[in-house]
Amino acid sequence: MSAETVMQRIAASHAGQTAQLAGGAAWARRRELALARVLGHGLPDRRNENWKYLDHAKIAERAFDPAPRVTLTADRLAPCLLPLAAAPRLVLVDGHFEPLLSDADAGAGVAVQDLATLLSTDPACAMRLLREPGDDADDRYALLADAFAAGGVVIRVDASAAPPEPLYMLHVSSGSLPGTSHARVVIEVGAGAKLRLVEHFVALGDAPAFSNLAAEMQIAAGATVEHIRLHQAGTQSAQLETWFVEQQADSSYSQHFFALGGRLLRSNLNLSLAGSRAQCRLAGLFMVDGERQADLYTQIAHHGAATRTSQNFRGIASERGRGAFNGRIIVHPAARGADASQSSRNLLLTPLAEINARPQLEIHTDDVKCRHGATIGTLDPAQLFYLLARGLDPAVAQSLLTFAFCEDVITGVPLPELRRTIEELVVGRLPDRDVIRSFR
Amino acid sequence: MMILSVRDLRVRAGEHLILDGVTLDVDAGAVCAIMGPNGSGKSTLTGVLAGRPGLEVISGTATYLGRDLLAMPAEERARQGLFLAFQYPVEIPGVNNVYLLKASLNALRKHRGEPELDAFEFLNLVRAKIRQMQMDESLLNRGVNEGFSGGEKKRNEILQMSLLEPTLALLDETDSGLDIDALKVVADGVNALRSPNRAIVMVTHYQRLLDYVVPDQVHVLAGGRIVRSGGRELALELERRGYDWLRFGPTAA
Ligand SMILES: Nc1ncnc2c1ncn2[C@@H]1O[C@H](COP(=O)(O)OP(=O)(O)OP(=O)(O)O)[C@@H](O)[C@H]1O
Ligand SMILES: [Mg+2]
Repeated sequence: MSAETVMQRIAASHAGQTAQLAGGAAWARRRELALARVLGHGLPDRRNENWKYLDHAKIAERAFDPAPRVTLTADRLAPCLLPLAAAPRLVLVDGHFEPLLSDADAGAGVAVQDLATLLSTDPACAMRLLREPGDDADDRYALLADAFAAGGVVIRVDASAAPPEPLYMLHVSSGSLPGTSHARVVIEVGAGAKLRLVEHFVALGDAPAFSNLAAEMQIAAGATVEHIRLHQAGTQSAQLETWFVEQQADSSYSQHFFALGGRLLRSNLNLSLAGSRAQCRLAGLFMVDGERQADLYTQIAHHGAATRTSQNFRGIASERGRGAFNGRIIVHPAARGADASQSSRNLLLTPLAEINARPQLEIHTDDVKCRHGATIGTLDPAQLFYLLARGLDPAVAQSLLTFAFCEDVITGVPLPELRRTIEELVVGRLPDRDVIRSFR
Repeated sequence: MMILSVRDLRVRAGEHLILDGVTLDVDAGAVCAIMGPNGSGKSTLTGVLAGRPGLEVISGTATYLGRDLLAMPAEERARQGLFLAFQYPVEIPGVNNVYLLKASLNALRKHRGEPELDAFEFLNLVRAKIRQMQMDESLLNRGVNEGFSGGEKKRNEILQMSLLEPTLALLDETDSGLDIDALKVVADGVNALRSPNRAIVMVTHYQRLLDYVVPDQVHVLAGGRIVRSGGRELALELERRGYDWLRFGPTAA
C-alpha cells in the first residue's frame, strides 16, 4: 500500500466524521489545519532517523476509519483488571472516556473531566489545555490525533494533594472490529502534589485495531509523580503513543514501563527537565516474541541546572520478535551540573529475533556528568553451564537467566501487588513457567 | 568398582589442542589429586568431564559408572552424580542462591526417583550444612555467588557439593585463595564426603590441602597428558623440586 493511499484514507475518514465532532467552529478549524499538516508532511517512515526500525506497513494496513462505538459492561472488564481494588478507576474505551465504567470520585484533590464534554461545554478551555503538536516527525501521530480530537480525559491534581490510592487509568481497545481510535490525555499535577498513576492497556477482541494516544503531563514545582505503564494488549493490536512530559523545578518523575503485549507498539516519550533540580527516573522492559514488535523512543531534554536523568531499559526478543530502543538525551547549555545516565541492555534468545539499540547523548555544556551504555547479547554461556552443571533443565536454566536479566526493572515497581502481577506476566512469557514460579 | 575411566582423551578448544591423550582411572573410594603447571589443561579436563561447552573431543573416551560420559548432556551428568566445583564460580545476579540449591537438589532427587523435599525439610537441611561450612546464612539469600569474596565462592561450591552428595566430585582448585581456617572447613567438607562408593578428584597447586585430605594417588598433568603418577610422596617431591625435572612436553613419558 503506498503512502498516498494511506493519506487518502485518512482524509476520507476525516471528511466522514469530523462534521459530528464537538467543539464548534474553532475546533473544526484546528482539526482541519492539523489534517492539512498531516497530509502535507505525511506520516513518518523509515527515512526518518528516529523511525527507521518501525514496521510502518503494519500501521498502513490498518483501517483508518473510526472504531465503531461499543457499549461495554463492567463484567467485560473484570477479567483484565489489575489488583488495584481500592484505586479509583478511569476507563477509556477506544479513546472515549466512559463515565459509567469509571469511578466518579478520583480521590481527594483530583479532578477528572471527560474531554468530549469539555469540548462541547467549554471549547476555549479545551483549546488552552490541549497542546498543539508541532511539525516535527516525532510529533506527527500526535498531530494526527489532533486532527481527530474528540475523546479523552483531563486530570488535574491540586497543589499539595497526595491522594492515598493510585489512579488507575485503563485504556481498552474493544477490538471487535477493525478501526482506528485517537485518544487525548492531559494531566496537570499541581505544585508539591504527589501522584501515582497506573496506566494499563488491554484489548478485548482480536480485530486488528489501531490506537493512537497523544498525552501530556505538566508537573509543577516540587511535585512527585510515579507512573506505571503496562501494555498488555493481545496479539493483534497496534498502538502508537506520544507522551509529552514537562517538569518544573525540584519535581520528580519516575516511570516504570512494561511492553508485554500487542502486535506492534511504538512509544514516544518526549520529556523536558525544564526547572532546576528536576529529576526523572525511567525504567522499562519490552518482551517481544512471536511476530511482535516494540519500538521505544525517548527524548529527554535537560534545560534546568542540576537536573538528573537515570534511565534503565531492558529488552528481550525471541522467535521473530523485534525490538528497538532509541534513547536520546540532550543537555542544553543552561543545564549546568546536570547528571544523566542511560543504560540499555538487550537479550536475543533466538537467532531470528532482532533488537536495535541506539543511545544518543548530545551535550552542550562542560559542566555535566553523563554515562551511557548499550548492549545486545545472548545469555551468558558460562552462567548457563553453571546451572546445567547443577542438574537444571536447559529450558529452566534459560528462563531463570532471562528472568534474572530483567528482574531489577520489575522489583522497582512501587506497588507490591502490581509488582507481583507484572512478575507473573513476565514469568508467564517464559518457557517452563511453572518451574520458574517455584523459584519465586 | 571403577567410577571414572578416561582413555587417551584428546580435546581441542578453538584451534588449540589442549588435552593430548589423557588416560586416567578413578576407583570407587579413591581420592586422587591432579597437579600440574598453569595452563597444562587441568580445568579443561574437569570441564570436558562436566560437559563444558566450547570444548571439542577429537578422540578418546570417558566412561562414568559404565556409561559413555561424553555422550550425556551436562545436566544429565550432574543428575547422575557428577559434580564440578568450579575454579572460578560464575556470578549469577538475579538467581537466588538458596533457590538454586533447592532446584538442584530436587532435580537430582527426582532423577533418583526420590520425592522432592518440601520447603521446611529443605531449609533444615541447608541450615545444617551452612553451619558445617561456617558460612553466613545471609549468603543464602543473595544472587548466586553475587559479590561473594573469593573464599565465600569456594565455600559455596563445597556447600553445594555436600548437599548434593555426588558420586564423583571434581574439585578444581577449591583450595586456592582460601585462608587457613577456610581451608580446614573445606577439607572437612571433602573428608565428610569420602566413602567407599564415591570418588573425589582434586585439582590443586598446593601440598597444603593434601595434608588435610590425604590422596590415594597423585597425577601430574603437563602438556596435555598425565606425565607422572604416584602416591602422596609425589606431591611432596613436586613441592620441593617444582615441575621442571619431569621434562614434560609432547614427548614426555
Ligand atoms: N577456548 C580456548 N581457546 C584457546 N585456548 C584455550 C581455550 N581454553 C583454554 N585454553 C588454553 O588451554 C590451556 C589450558 O587451560 P586450562 O584452564 O585447562 O589450564 P589449567 O591447567 O587449569 O591452568 P591453571 O592452573 O592456571 O588453572 C591454557 O593455555 C589456556 O589458555
Ligand atoms: Mg585451571
